Amino acid sequence: MLSGLANPRQAAVQLMNFGLILSTAFMMWKGLSVITDSPSPIVVVLSGSMEPAFQRGDLLFLWNRNVVAETSVGEIVVYNVKGKDIPIVHRIVRKFGKGPEAKLLTKGDNNVSDDTELYASGQDYLVRKDIIGSVFAYIPFVGYVTILLSEHPWLKTVMLGLMGLVVVLQRE
Amino acid sequence: MYTSVVRLQNVFGFFTTVAFVVAAFIAASDFVTERAPIVRTLKTTSVQVVRGRPHYYSSKKEEYAIINFSLDADLSSLFTWNTKQVFVYVSAEWPAADHAKTNATNEAVIWDTIITSPSADHLANIGPVAMKKLRKSAGGKSIDPNRGKLSLKNQRHKYKITHPSGKLAMTDNVTLRLHYNVQPWVGLLTWDQDVDYGYWKALKNGVSKRFKLPAIKEKKAASAGAR
Repeated sequence: MLSGLANPRQAAVQLMNFGLILSTAFMMWKGLSVITDSPSPIVVVLSGSMEPAFQRGDLLFLWNRNVVAETSVGEIVVYNVKGKDIPIVHRIVRKFGKGPEAKLLTKGDNNVSDDTELYASGQDYLVRKDIIGSVFAYIPFVGYVTILLSEHPWLKTVMLGLMGLVVVLQRE
Repeated sequence: MYTSVVRLQNVFGFFTTVAFVVAAFIAASDFVTERAPIVRTLKTTSVQVVRGRPHYYSSKKEEYAIINFSLDADLSSLFTWNTKQVFVYVSAEWPAADHAKTNATNEAVIWDTIITSPSADHLANIGPVAMKKLRKSAGGKSIDPNRGKLSLKNQRHKYKITHPSGKLAMTDNVTLRLHYNVQPWVGLLTWDQDVDYGYWKALKNGVSKRFKLPAIKEKKAASAGAR
């Protein structure tokens, strides 16, 4: 019991291991960010506006480079509205013009009307730089744990506590 | 060191590995499944341009194109065990004002529909009566390619389309185009393609003939008088 505390060298090694795991995860996330050119290459679906394609808790993989073709009508994109920091996952239904200034309109498949109401006041359309990525791959349900964590903050404390306890108690 | 914590970690680790390998296998099976979607007919049945407001409290007047169409397509090969839904949409495409210089176009969806695979019927956002009918239509099968056979005659538009400039009347070289987006249970999302990739054939005949939007339709009274 509490062998780590009795042996400071072992405690230091365990602390290093824990730090290594955290920094590896962080580097992988940032590396993915560089490859996909997206500030947030993996997102969790938070609303039901794209049902039945995406449910809450599903994991989406984003790609934000226009290598072959421009972002166009029919693609499902994640965008941020000016002044709000909640990313929205919706489909592009209109595109006027070409290039970085093309006007884009989005709509959720499960919504009756388009997103004009969701945009900032005075903003009628999105442009390319509002978009942080197009969805290209999908894994169901895996992200639900992050929704649980954000809706029940005490779970975070419990999880961190458990992880800390394991690190301290583990001998190897 | 075989403590119960380590055992629990091993079991969970093995479970996630197996789950991801199986998921990867299912996702990869898409690439060896043949897809040969074809469109037999895609044509407009009525086209008109009217003046209107974007919403009730707006004073801005814009021109709206109202396009109804007929569609006969066979997308049944898109329905496999990994298909959750197919999102089918028809868009109108026309050259932008600076098309000659930049090759830019405008594109707007005029109609769309979600075709769920029977395995995803319970997720569809429809009323209980429609749900019962939908489930019955599959006849107990979990994959139903027949749902990919579309035959629409004089289908009413779902969205009136406009342009940021507010002008649309007399626009020439408009085409309708059928698109689809296959949503898998797990794996890559795919769209209609112009060229063949391996087992996936390009969508045949997915573009309508070019047509021209008419002049603005006058008010009822005026048109009655002209007749």
